[in-house]
Amino acid sequence: MTEIIRAHVEQEYAAELYELEQAETRPKPPNWRLSPWSVATYLLGGTLDNGFEVNPKYFGNGRLIEIAIATLTTDRALLLMGIPGTGKTWVAEHLSAAISGDSSLLIQGTAGTSEEAIRYGWNYASLIAHGPTAEALVPSPVMVAMQKGKLARVEELTRIPADVQDALITILSEKLLPIPELNEEVMAIKGFNVIATANDRDKGVNDLSSALRRRFNTVVLPVPATAEEEVTIVRKRVRELGRALELPAEPPALEEIRRVVTIFRELREGLTTDGQARLKSPSSTLSTAEAISVINSGQALAAHFGDGRLRAPDLAASLVGAVVKDPLHDVVIWREYLDTVVKDREEWTDLYRACRELA
Amino acid sequence: MSNHHLFGIRHHGPGSARALIGALEALRPDSILIEGPPDGDHLLPWLIDPDMSLPVALIIYRPDQPKRSGFYPYTLFSPELQAIRFALARHIPVRFADLPQKHLMAGEHKPAMPSMAAMKILAEATGHRNYETWWNLAIEQRRDSTDLFQAIFDLMSTLRASEGEPQPGPDGYEPAQLLLLQREAFMRQAIRQEIAAGRKRIAFVCGAWHTPALVNLDDVQADARLTTGLPAVPVEAAWVPWTYGRLSMFSGYGAGILSPGWYHHLWTHSQETSDPAEVTLTWLTRVADLLRQEDLDASSANVIEAVRLAETLAALRELPFPGLPELNEATQAVLCQGASEPLKLIRRKLIVGERLGMVPPGSPMVPLQRDLYQQQKILELPPNPETTTLQIDLRDELGLARSHLLHRLNLLSIPWGIPKRVRGLRNATYEDWKLQWQPDFALAIVEASMWGNTVEEAASAFAEETAANANNLASLTELLDRVLLAELPAAAAMILSRLRDETALSSDIPRLMAALPPLAQILRYGSVRQTDQELLEHIVDTLLTRICIGLPTTCAALDDNAAEEMSKKIGETTGVIHTLREHDYAQRWFDTLEKMADQSDLHGLIRGRICRMLLDESIFDREEAAGRLSQALGRSSFAGMSIEQAIQAVTWLDGFLQGSELLIVHDRRLWAVLDSWISGLPQERFVEILPLLRRAFSHFSDAARGQLHERLQYGAPPLAEPLLINTFDQEQADKVLLLLATILGLRTNYPIGE
Repeated sequence: MTEIIRAHVEQEYAAELYELEQAETRPKPPNWRLSPWSVATYLLGGTLDNGFEVNPKYFGNGRLIEIAIATLTTDRALLLMGIPGTGKTWVAEHLSAAISGDSSLLIQGTAGTSEEAIRYGWNYASLIAHGPTAEALVPSPVMVAMQKGKLARVEELTRIPADVQDALITILSEKLLPIPELNEEVMAIKGFNVIATANDRDKGVNDLSSALRRRFNTVVLPVPATAEEEVTIVRKRVRELGRALELPAEPPALEEIRRVVTIFRELREGLTTDGQARLKSPSSTLSTAEAISVINSGQALAAHFGDGRLRAPDLAASLVGAVVKDPLHDVVIWREYLDTVVKDREEWTDLYRACRELA
Repeated sequence: MSNHHLFGIRHHGPGSARALIGALEALRPDSILIEGPPDGDHLLPWLIDPDMSLPVALIIYRPDQPKRSGFYPYTLFSPELQAIRFALARHIPVRFADLPQKHLMAGEHKPAMPSMAAMKILAEATGHRNYETWWNLAIEQRRDSTDLFQAIFDLMSTLRASEGEPQPGPDGYEPAQLLLLQREAFMRQAIRQEIAAGRKRIAFVCGAWHTPALVNLDDVQADARLTTGLPAVPVEAAWVPWTYGRLSMFSGYGAGILSPGWYHHLWTHSQETSDPAEVTLTWLTRVADLLRQEDLDASSANVIEAVRLAETLAALRELPFPGLPELNEATQAVLCQGASEPLKLIRRKLIVGERLGMVPPGSPMVPLQRDLYQQQKILELPPNPETTTLQIDLRDELGLARSHLLHRLNLLSIPWGIPKRVRGLRNATYEDWKLQWQPDFALAIVEASMWGNTVEEAASAFAEETAANANNLASLTELLDRVLLAELPAAAAMILSRLRDETALSSDIPRLMAALPPLAQILRYGSVRQTDQELLEHIVDTLLTRICIGLPTTCAALDDNAAEEMSKKIGETTGVIHTLREHDYAQRWFDTLEKMADQSDLHGLIRGRICRMLLDESIFDREEAAGRLSQALGRSSFAGMSIEQAIQAVTWLDGFLQGSELLIVHDRRLWAVLDSWISGLPQERFVEILPLLRRAFSHFSDAARGQLHERLQYGAPPLAEPLLINTFDQEQADKVLLLLATILGLRTNYPIGE
């Protein structure tokens, strides 16, 4: 087990889940491992009556987590939306661990995801040898979840081709999965539900059909609410990643992180932090995760080609890359931003120059 | 309690109102006192007038200074209104009890408001984010109102005790605190008067905070000291129409309420049914209905799911039933599929609501009406139903004031005067107006009265509101123009800041260009204050920066019509640059044009036009321009050109010669460029290009072509020698200048004889 890079969350947080289960006093929905209240405590953190400390898993607005849990108790499927890097997968994983005790029933959505991956497939050797039998059937994670009354996760739902997505409609509305080859059907038992994640910002996604959309309750996970919160997250992750990649550079100054986060936030919100000037937002997502990667690649640049200290020119290259995704419109927006905002900030002159040189 | 019963309510609280009616029915009072200005007592009966539609506000104002006023809004779910109607319907005596506004307006201070600190602690103690949600849940949405008023009284007593009563400092009470004490003294006095009149069951309806101070009536002496000998000024009262939007902003009762539409809903549904689930259900049905009206998908099945989610959320949060936050969250998750935009719509249309009240025609005059009446007298402009014309001389004070008044009324949609002269001629000395007073202006004035008590104030507030809602540059610049004519500096400042935001967000370069000329006009000739001048300069500056950055991409790949439009716009912008020559815009602008002159995907018309402008600016010298001319027209063999290329070439020439019909005859440089290019063409090339040339010159008038011909034939006319006069008769010159000034209508402060 020690060779595993990353354990399932229900294993990693087994102690917390166990304590919560022991302390449980409230009614649990059928086949739920914890009551909705305990699930909320598990995700948002808290202290149990016996003094056991549960660490928060999600740092943002707790009300969103409550909506997500309430959705699952009304056996509506849950769709977590948001730009990349807002913790959708993280929340989905922890929800299934806390509710079903199993976060492994997962379909990773890609452009190549087929209907078999969502419904069921066949063991072709067995199919040819014995014909269509229950033994030859290879159930999908969704089918397993239906049979066991657990939560199934569909990651990146909008990457799946639209016609394949629609295979979920019957499962979600009728809670059953017909197997015409065997003249049978799988009927979901209580506790079964689907958590899907999707991002609404990336290009090339297959929008959900409205028929499917209606079957989900949607919770949008936002980007961090305050600059301070975001700086903290970026700083923590940059430090962890730097350690993992064994970068020889010294950890970036807080000032640089704050600068990148400020630029990201201002462009994302279309407003300068002092609230004085409105800005246009580029087509890029500018998520926290991207801020982390900008700092990281700047740091790598500084380590390998610079003097080991993160400076404006090291940042500029990946910064421009992160902001300018659409070569036509984003360039204009970025130049406007440079000339109307960055230029006027005296302590940002180095960054302005570095960015102008690249332009 | 003895003879008087206290009902602590929240102003505009539907739960309070409902509980109050129940309590009044049980008590069967023989007198009802309401927290409110006694100056408005005589207007109370209007509240049961069938022509009165809610919400309305009672306004108390000083007729000599209509700006000083207090508003007391009432709507259907206001406990005060319900109590007043209860009394009027049963012929129970009802009146206001509070510190009269006639005393309040004699001084400069406002009474202190109850401190919210204790309420915050209370909300936190009960696990709520704010006092508002706590109160909504605990009081307004409560079903069981037994002993509610006793509970509120106990709660407020505890809160006030923890807060401590204000203590006098070395110089006595602070003015605001003193006024609060006086208010409560007046309330106690009113109760004493009712008791003295022999009333046995007196109901006193007031903000919950005051109740603990109204129990003990023993200290007659102290109250007498607080309530007698106060200075007073004459005040008048009137009803004005109100809106839910305004109810949510502020009111004479202090803090406004955040969600009048939601309260209205709670009120209506707490009346018809006792099932709390009904409130949730009907609300979400209304939400779905609104979404459908906006062409958003909202099926009944989803309404059911939203109801379930709201109820589960309430259970998860340990609430007896869903409050507005739960309903909003359920709406967003289920009905709006996570989108937050529709919630803004729901907030505006349902949660706040757009209900507008009406006041019966016969009710007393509103301050705005009075202010207008005064101004009409001062400015000697009596309302006349006949059409008359009026010429205003803007140089004298009276004329200017008249012009401002008429412009302001126009802003308020009271078109008493219609300006005959084209707007925008801002250095004009005279304005011509057509005046006609129409009877229905009276109604318009009542409607406009919610914006303010004087014409100036109302016009300014209205313009600011319009600016806040305006979503494009054109309407903002137009509004700015009107506001400047009406001389409303506050509104002008507000519009300027909106313009700043709007220019930042707009990526539509032609629109930005269209906004530039009027702004430049205002910048150059307008009467704006110094601070606004700076802001305006800043806006024009950023506007130009954005145009310069965006113009090259915008001009790429335009069709003929768009190119013509754009060429005109570029010309206009260049004009603006010339108007504002004291600013250093020219550098930036012509740099951009210079870059564009080499841009390959540009329409010929625009390129030609740009080349011409740069020639005019001497940025291109004669050789450069001639070189470009031959590049555009004389490239390789002309016979090998495709039709498209030929057309591009000829449009280039079009652009280059645009608007220079007469200029070409007289401008030596332009002439030389063309001439040297044409004479340099080999014979066969000239023949090839001739059709194109003919086309380019076909836009010229006959006369111009005649002149061109003449010039070609006889050579350039000799240039007139500049007149150099060293000596002239000062006296004679002064006479001419004086006459000229009179003819031109200029101020004749020319320093004559110096």
